[in-house]
Amino acid sequence: MQKNPWIIWLFLLIGVNSFAQDKFTVSGSIADAETGETLIGATVFIPSSGEGTVTNEYGFYSITLPAADSVTLEFSYVGFSNELRTIPLRSDQQLSIELGSGIKLEEVVVKANSFQEQLTSTEMSVEAITTKEAKLIPVLLGESDIIKTIQLKPGIPSGSEGTTGLFVRGGGSDQNLILLDEALVYNASHLFGFFSTFNTDAVKDLKLYKGGFPAQYGGRLSSVIDVKLKEGNNKKFSGTGGLGLISSRLTLEGPIQKGKSSFIVSGRRTYFDLITRGINNANSENEDFNQIPDYYFYDLNTKVNFQLGEKDRLFLSGYFGRDVFGFNDDFFNFQFDWGNATGTARWNHQFNPKLFANTTFTYSDYEYSIVNTVTGFSFEVGSRIRDANLKSDFYYAVNNKHTLRFGLGATYHQFTVGRLQAGSDDGDIAFEAGQDFDGVELGAYVGDEWTATDKLRINGGIRFSGFSNDGVFYTGIEPRFASRYLLSDKMTLKASYARMYQYLHLVSSSGVSLPTDVWYPSTERIRPQTSDQVAAGFSLLLGDKYFLTNEYFYKWLDNQVDFVDWAELFANDNLEEEFAIGKGFAYGMEVSLEKKEGRLTGWVGYTLQLIRRGEFEPVDPSAQFQGGLAYFSPRYDRRHDLSVVAVYEINRRLTATASWIYGSGDLTWLPSGRFTYQDIQGGQFSAVVPIYSDRNSVRLADFHRLDLGLVLKFFPKWGESDLTFNVINAYDRRNAFFVFLEPEFREAEDDNGLPIEIPEKITAKQVSLFPILPSITWNFKF
Amino acid sequence: MRSIYKNSLWALLVLAVGACNLEQEIDLELPVYESQLVVESYLQPGEPFTLLLTQSAGYFDPFPTENDEFLEQILVDDAGVAILHNGNRYELENGLFFNPFTLQVFNYGSTETMPEDFDNDFELEIITSGGQTATATTRLLAPIGLDSIIFDGNNTADSSVTALTYFEDEFRESDNFYRFMIHRATLDSLYSDFVFSDRVVETSTIVVGTAPDFEVGDTLINTLIHITPEYYDFYNSVQGAIFSNGNPFAQPGGIISNIEGDANATGIFTTLQIDRVTSIVE
Repeated sequence: MQKNPWIIWLFLLIGVNSFAQDKFTVSGSIADAETGETLIGATVFIPSSGEGTVTNEYGFYSITLPAADSVTLEFSYVGFSNELRTIPLRSDQQLSIELGSGIKLEEVVVKANSFQEQLTSTEMSVEAITTKEAKLIPVLLGESDIIKTIQLKPGIPSGSEGTTGLFVRGGGSDQNLILLDEALVYNASHLFGFFSTFNTDAVKDLKLYKGGFPAQYGGRLSSVIDVKLKEGNNKKFSGTGGLGLISSRLTLEGPIQKGKSSFIVSGRRTYFDLITRGINNANSENEDFNQIPDYYFYDLNTKVNFQLGEKDRLFLSGYFGRDVFGFNDDFFNFQFDWGNATGTARWNHQFNPKLFANTTFTYSDYEYSIVNTVTGFSFEVGSRIRDANLKSDFYYAVNNKHTLRFGLGATYHQFTVGRLQAGSDDGDIAFEAGQDFDGVELGAYVGDEWTATDKLRINGGIRFSGFSNDGVFYTGIEPRFASRYLLSDKMTLKASYARMYQYLHLVSSSGVSLPTDVWYPSTERIRPQTSDQVAAGFSLLLGDKYFLTNEYFYKWLDNQVDFVDWAELFANDNLEEEFAIGKGFAYGMEVSLEKKEGRLTGWVGYTLQLIRRGEFEPVDPSAQFQGGLAYFSPRYDRRHDLSVVAVYEINRRLTATASWIYGSGDLTWLPSGRFTYQDIQGGQFSAVVPIYSDRNSVRLADFHRLDLGLVLKFFPKWGESDLTFNVINAYDRRNAFFVFLEPEFREAEDDNGLPIEIPEKITAKQVSLFPILPSITWNFKF
Repeated sequence: MRSIYKNSLWALLVLAVGACNLEQEIDLELPVYESQLVVESYLQPGEPFTLLLTQSAGYFDPFPTENDEFLEQILVDDAGVAILHNGNRYELENGLFFNPFTLQVFNYGSTETMPEDFDNDFELEIITSGGQTATATTRLLAPIGLDSIIFDGNNTADSSVTALTYFEDEFRESDNFYRFMIHRATLDSLYSDFVFSDRVVETSTIVVGTAPDFEVGDTLINTLIHITPEYYDFYNSVQGAIFSNGNPFAQPGGIISNIEGDANATGIFTTLQIDRVTSIVE
């Protein structure tokens, strides 16, 4: 008996009602009538009893009801017309529904209950964004970016201004589980973090969990970013695309077999390189001209899906993206490439009206490579991580009080860390460094969404995780809990707790995401990172149009990874000796007020938080970690963070958008002292060597920025198009990207009459990234 | 026509960046800083013991307005300095020791020269006027020699050549650290300077290459120095600190010093084994 406590627990949860003969189950999927895309979170409501459910992330629903000669079900989804169906219920029913928007989506049909699911769900600390929102809100150089849009929600500050790094509730940028169609994306950014890898045209939706993590997610401490790709229009061939200042994109989708299978192919490429190559060619005869290196990035998404029968569906999807930076002349041949590749094969199967399964095989590959050849010698450095993952997730609608989710999975990781190969072409001279690891990560979970009473709903679960590498096996038990209590039909109290384990660590010494950041596995000396987070708050429906949420959180972090002073992160056979291991904590409050209905929509989000790291001890005791065990603020400890986003539909053709962000200035680590360094004979005399003492003890000026946009729509016969005008930093605020202290010197002569430079004064200077930046993009859809 | 268009585009881009004026002076308050002693002592066999003892300052502290006040402001001349070795105590007298050949200044020195002893430690002892002490220990490393310098100009269209400097890494049984420098003609004209470790070297031959920056007739001074691990860390921390100021991607850190004691001192006390070769590009 004691050997199988979980099996007993499952049976207890299932209860006796589920097998009663006087109830039957209606199940199926809900999809968009225009495209055939399944709808996630669509509502199924029984007006006569007040019962209801929502579709899961695969568009599947299941609801068990008392037998009746007829029962009416109401299907609804934000932006779509409701659908009523009356059916006899004397046996289990399969009922798949397609919802039509009725009128054009641009006019946004939003029902009064558009916040109902958010209000009544046990999920808390969740932010969602649609591609429609991402396309409207003004963004850098007109490149719509779903990650940058989600950063405007409370509790998700970016790292440096304009970048896609996410520092959720005090977590590091490596503590985000980023999933693209369930495949892990290790580096979700292009151009050093200024653009994300997600092409908005190919994305169906994005959901970000900041806390209260469901048991099916594991492997990262601070957030889950679940990005679903579109499945492709299975009704008709269509396309979307756009021409922007820095890139163009095109997405084509259509049925393979109408109503049964579809495809989508989406691509995007920048054209900085075409401009710079032209400039280089034009100056090829100019000896004084320094060539501009080539740079471009591209993404390719593709997906096909097949309805294999009433109960089976197969999805195959893939992503391939690369950043390419190169420079060639007579002497140097330098090539720096980095990027992700992911592949997903997913099979949905409905075993019976209550049991739905999703089995997924994913492959992820991230690598960077720097190759430099100089006459007779070559130099190559790179890192790579490859994952193969197989998992099964089950969704079991036991009855209308219990919905079980359970599953298990395994990931095989293959790491190549800091591979360096250099030497002469004849092989006489060779340098080599780097490490290879193989690791296996395991996860199994069970969770139950339990409607205890009309007012109280609890989502309890537990996840067991494990990681094996180099003879070391770590295990983790990760309890998860979330609940909501309805105080009224307009107000809910929510609370959650989640413990998370993270077995992989990002070797990054900068506040900015760099392609050369390396993933490193847990080893005997580098233990898994863990976090515990509690959160509590309330949601309140103000009238029918406004939705207010207020959450408070506290997070404890253990086995956090930082780096000893002047860590050698390249060409190091024993990288972990450069690590320092410590702790951290964060606490704060988030409040948001959202409006989805009417001509004016948008939200106001505010975060107040405090983040600390400390007790860092170097893995190598002879190494130095400045500050020792003392607690300090990380660079992203932003006390106040406010965002205001507004979208105003002036008329059918014209929509105006604005976003304003305000935040406490970033913290920075500046020198407090200086000394004069003579050096040895022939060395580098320096009159001013900075002495860095306390970490991140200087807070830069608060930042704020207003971005404006205007979308002008056209309705030609062949489809739709629009011109999107954006102005980033509309009032030309000079926010600090970084600050440096610049010594100024005066010319003098020494006793021998030789010229010398004498330091005269030091000034503090701030570098900003963005002036006022207008852009225009033409988008089309047919 | 296309060239004119592309050139105009480039000019527009440069103009736009310049016009944006994205760098500006700001007022900033730095944390309070307490001045430290700074030690620099590089011992070489056969050379007198010398040491430079200075003091650090707050980053925004004013600099002297007169040129000759600069040394006065930073030198610390009231400490007792000695080097202990193999039962001998070498007192370093305070004074201004200027070497016109090396253009180096020290404020403590001895008439005795450093013995070539590879087996016993050299210990530094500094006692400040306030009675605090700063100590450090170092050891003499084995000498090293440059093997050959080859100039290669075959792969470039013009007459410029690369310089390839070869040497044999004879100490494979343990990690070794080196500093390599190239000067043009004189030691105050530095072309290249870096430290490295032989940890990642697979072969016993090490080669250091340059860009094709030299012409026939140029004089090059190649210097290879066998350095201690402590000096390697100190050098990297000094260069890292200089490089971190103004680089948004760099992670700053503290100065890694081998000076200990209660005198709140930083710096380096180390030995050097130097080989230097002058050659003319042919």
